[in-house]
Amino acid sequence: MNEYLLLTVAILLPAFSALLCYALRNKAVRSFIVVLTSLAMFGVAGGFVNLLLASGGTLKIGVDAHIIGWVIKVLDLLLMGYILYIGFTLRKYLVVVLTFLQLIPLILFEGGLLFGTPHESEIAFVIDYLSLIMILLVSIIGPIITIFATGYMEEHEHHLGLKKSKQPRFFMILFIFLAAMNALVMTDNISWMYFFWEVTTLCSFLLISHDGNSESVKNALRALWINLSGGVAFISAIIAIYSVYGSLSITEIIEKTKTGGFVGIIPLAIGLLCFAGFTKSAQFPFQSWLLGAMVAPTPVSALLHSSTMVKAGVYLVVRFAPAYANTMLANIVAVVGAFTFLAGSAIAISQSNGKRVLAYSTIANLGLIICCAGIGSKVAIGAAILLMIFHAVSKGLLFLCVGTIEQEIGSRDIEDMQGLAKRMPFTTFVIVVGMISMLLPPFGVLITKWLAIEASVNSPLVLLCIVLGSAFTVVFWSKWIGIILTMSYKNSYKAEKLDFSVRSALSLLLVGALAASVLIMPLYNIFIAPHINSLNLADKAAGLAGSNGGVWLQGVGNITTGGFAAIPVFLLLFALMLLIPYFMRKTKAERIKPPYLCGENVDNDVRGLQFISPADKVDVVVVRNYYLTGMFGEGNLTLWCNALAGAIILVMFGVVI
Amino acid sequence: MGVISKSRKKSPWVIHYDCTSCNGCDIETLACLTPMYDVERFGIINVGNPKHADVLVVTGSVNKRNVRVLKNIYNQMPEPKAVVAVGACACTGGIFKECYNVLGGVENVLPVDVFVPGCCPRPEAIIDGIVLAMDKLDEKAKKMKEEKKKANQSVKV
Amino acid sequence: MGNNLVQNIIIAVIWIVAAPILGGILSGIDRKITARMQNRFGPPIMQPFYDFFKLLGKERITVNQTQMVYVMGHLFFAIASLVMLVLKQDLLMLMFILAFSTVSLIMGAMSVRSPYSKIGAQREIIQMMAYEPVLILMVVGVYLTTKSFMISSVFSESTGPLLYNLPLVFFAFLYVLTIKLRKSPFDFSTSHHGHQELIKGLTTEFSGPQLALIELTHWYDLIILLGLITLFFAKPIWVGIIIALVSYFLELVIDNISARVTWRWMIKATWLIGIGAAMINIVWLYLKMKV
Ligand code: SF4
Repeated sequence: MNEYLLLTVAILLPAFSALLCYALRNKAVRSFIVVLTSLAMFGVAGGFVNLLLASGGTLKIGVDAHIIGWVIKVLDLLLMGYILYIGFTLRKYLVVVLTFLQLIPLILFEGGLLFGTPHESEIAFVIDYLSLIMILLVSIIGPIITIFATGYMEEHEHHLGLKKSKQPRFFMILFIFLAAMNALVMTDNISWMYFFWEVTTLCSFLLISHDGNSESVKNALRALWINLSGGVAFISAIIAIYSVYGSLSITEIIEKTKTGGFVGIIPLAIGLLCFAGFTKSAQFPFQSWLLGAMVAPTPVSALLHSSTMVKAGVYLVVRFAPAYANTMLANIVAVVGAFTFLAGSAIAISQSNGKRVLAYSTIANLGLIICCAGIGSKVAIGAAILLMIFHAVSKGLLFLCVGTIEQEIGSRDIEDMQGLAKRMPFTTFVIVVGMISMLLPPFGVLITKWLAIEASVNSPLVLLCIVLGSAFTVVFWSKWIGIILTMSYKNSYKAEKLDFSVRSALSLLLVGALAASVLIMPLYNIFIAPHINSLNLADKAAGLAGSNGGVWLQGVGNITTGGFAAIPVFLLLFALMLLIPYFMRKTKAERIKPPYLCGENVDNDVRGLQFISPADKVDVVVVRNYYLTGMFGEGNLTLWCNALAGAIILVMFGVVI
Repeated sequence: MGVISKSRKKSPWVIHYDCTSCNGCDIETLACLTPMYDVERFGIINVGNPKHADVLVVTGSVNKRNVRVLKNIYNQMPEPKAVVAVGACACTGGIFKECYNVLGGVENVLPVDVFVPGCCPRPEAIIDGIVLAMDKLDEKAKKMKEEKKKANQSVKV
Repeated sequence: MGNNLVQNIIIAVIWIVAAPILGGILSGIDRKITARMQNRFGPPIMQPFYDFFKLLGKERITVNQTQMVYVMGHLFFAIASLVMLVLKQDLLMLMFILAFSTVSLIMGAMSVRSPYSKIGAQREIIQMMAYEPVLILMVVGVYLTTKSFMISSVFSESTGPLLYNLPLVFFAFLYVLTIKLRKSPFDFSTSHHGHQELIKGLTTEFSGPQLALIELTHWYDLIILLGLITLFFAKPIWVGIIIALVSYFLELVIDNISARVTWRWMIKATWLIGIGAAMINIVWLYLKMKV
């Protein structure tokens, strides 16, 4: 009975809180609801971990599929109706067309006009380790971001100078989003999944257009139509699959494709599902919606980028990875992902807008996840799932930091963050740790990059993309970290004043990011290894093993072929952290000197901000990053990358047909 | 401290600043770097950065405009450091001494450790000057250390 | 296991002590040879050590409080990758850690509001962007021949010298070695001779003990890189060592006969020649494996 309770709470509680947030328009009450719901969701996440570990791998939850099925059908229609309404009122007829393209097959299919009333399995919810990891991400990171939003939105609306607060609506959509995500990752019924999929699409539209100015509406519409096209692919795939297998259960579908069912129309259907995943996780050439989504308030970006929305896309691709493993389709999926990784990282170099850098980095990392899913070996799937975790935590953290910084300094330009440590030491510390966790060993993201390279050695093209891409990631991260840490001498630092909700959200995510990386071995052993084993991949090598304080790669016959002991390195690192301050006292500077400006410093100011230029003019020293726009400019690259990515996707469909 | 003191004498890094030299002294200073004289034999390197340098080699007389830069460069050098004035101009102001804008030799502005006279001095003389400065460096370092000790003791007392 | 651990620690400690001594002597020889090539007499072989100790004895000046931390990071990451090398660990991870030793130095140079060190840092980043892919491709090449990422596999019985299978990768590695050692024509992030447009680039704002530690790290780097060359001919090891030394000599020759190029030129050339050569090699290994 316990699992029913958890299931209900996980899905219906956020939905219920959503209604409460909308109905009770009082700030204090809202904050209270948010905190309470967050705590409950943490509890649910913990509960699921307990249950799943006790059950030994999969948790099958049967429900009355008939009634819920009808409820979902009705909601489906309402949803489509609402999207149509949006399309008509905003005169975006592409949206209307795409909605009709979904609505008609949907009615035909669900109404039983195609193959009779579709049979819906009683076991509608199946939770395995992959779902569990997603639940953890959604129900831990999501609420933290919501807590952050309570403080942030107050400030945000203050900036905008709104008369009537739009926060009730905002929090309602946030919670519906979380509910839909939770449901999406738990359900085993692919047509239900489709419904939740469309709910996230609609929610992201509403959130992106939240500020209501023309730019945000425009970008939100772009997000809507791109994701709707993914929806069209999704519903077509469902119908195609049902026409062959007569089943809507995801587990069954994957089982059948693995045992020789990957023939006829099925490759196309799986290809369409991957396509839907690409649109949702903003792979090239669909990346523009995620970049446009930057106009939304920061918590929205954080949510879209870390645990929800884009992760739904990669979840779908990773979920179906065993279904198309070792096929031509898999190879091309890998190429699509790897190419996105390369292109995203390359364009990120030329960006000076912090949020856009983060966005491109998200796109790139999602590409890497999809690439790993496409490679489909044990190591690769392990890397994909690990990256999902690490990326979600770190990216959520980084977005919240950038939002906080933006509110303080009034800019999201990287160059304006110079000397941030003086104004906001706490946030600086948090954002730098966040960035380092995206970049440096022994943090998780790097380890997954390392795994991805080790997994892709057998496909030179993918390998080249990943190798070049990972060199580019180093470039843009280190440029940004360098700018943030630029500072001149200051005697003492005092942490800045932040709203309690903001500070606690940042601290929680910081702890999360560190914990995920430190605990990589148990994380892998407990959650990921059993999942990979249960997939029964046809790959001969023993795969990954978590032991000796790290994750190790094992070849045929359990010979270690690569590995990295993360935990000892961490211990060493912490020891050094203690040692360095000690050293610091010994190597303490005897004197502070200004930077060298050819002796032209204006006075003895240790900061060296000004120099005397010809004709005794006093000039300010300006130091800026290189952005290499000639080589990596967004303008030049986007067109070509889109064209190339489009071509790859066409090839994909060519192959599966 | 034996090793460091020994090393200090073997590796003086030089920064060369040209105040108002007629370029005669500069040419001779740079001639020291050529294969003919090869100052790297003594570990002397022209580093061009006050933060790395031990010895400041000044050529030409100091005038009102460049005194600020000269002082600035000197200030940015880490202790122990020495100043070598190369050429008659740097020592005393030379033929420019009476000019309306000239302040005279370098010693009017900075504590000079070694004077290398001549107009212009031969490279051998310049090298000799720098080598003399090395010994000065070590003396200064020792003095620095004693002062530090004293300062520490007085704190304890 | 316990015995093994003790043994490993002893090996690591020996190398941590020995590497800078060897590296220092090598760079002393470097300066001597360079001087001879320029028809000069040159400094004594021990000159790098004199410089090092002199710098240690200098006054500690800084521009801000954090510089020393980055220098420490630079040093510790380099030592970590050396330890990984001598304990024959994962080659790819070694490359990453080595890269982050450099990143740490870049951070240090960027942490200062100084135009020279900033530009030096930017150029160093560009250099990394150029050579990182080649280093990683080298690791992949090693994997394709030995079927393992562990350095220990290079020394195992079944594999012949890597050089036979990876001639082009070896060539590409030599190419990036010049960049990695910041030798001419790729010495634009910190020029070997000061008083140029960049003063001392990356290291302009480091002085005294900080600079000494950077120099120390440089020696570690040198030994790591030469050690990596040795891997190409691991059995018998002395052949590998000779190859490494010959390669180093080659670097010196190149250093002395070439002028500095621009970073654009460097990126294009490195990607074309370095990555091109390494990729060709990898593709042919891959095809050979398929057959
Ligand atoms: S001393 Fe003679 S050579 Fe030197 S700067 Fe003066 S005038 Fe010129």
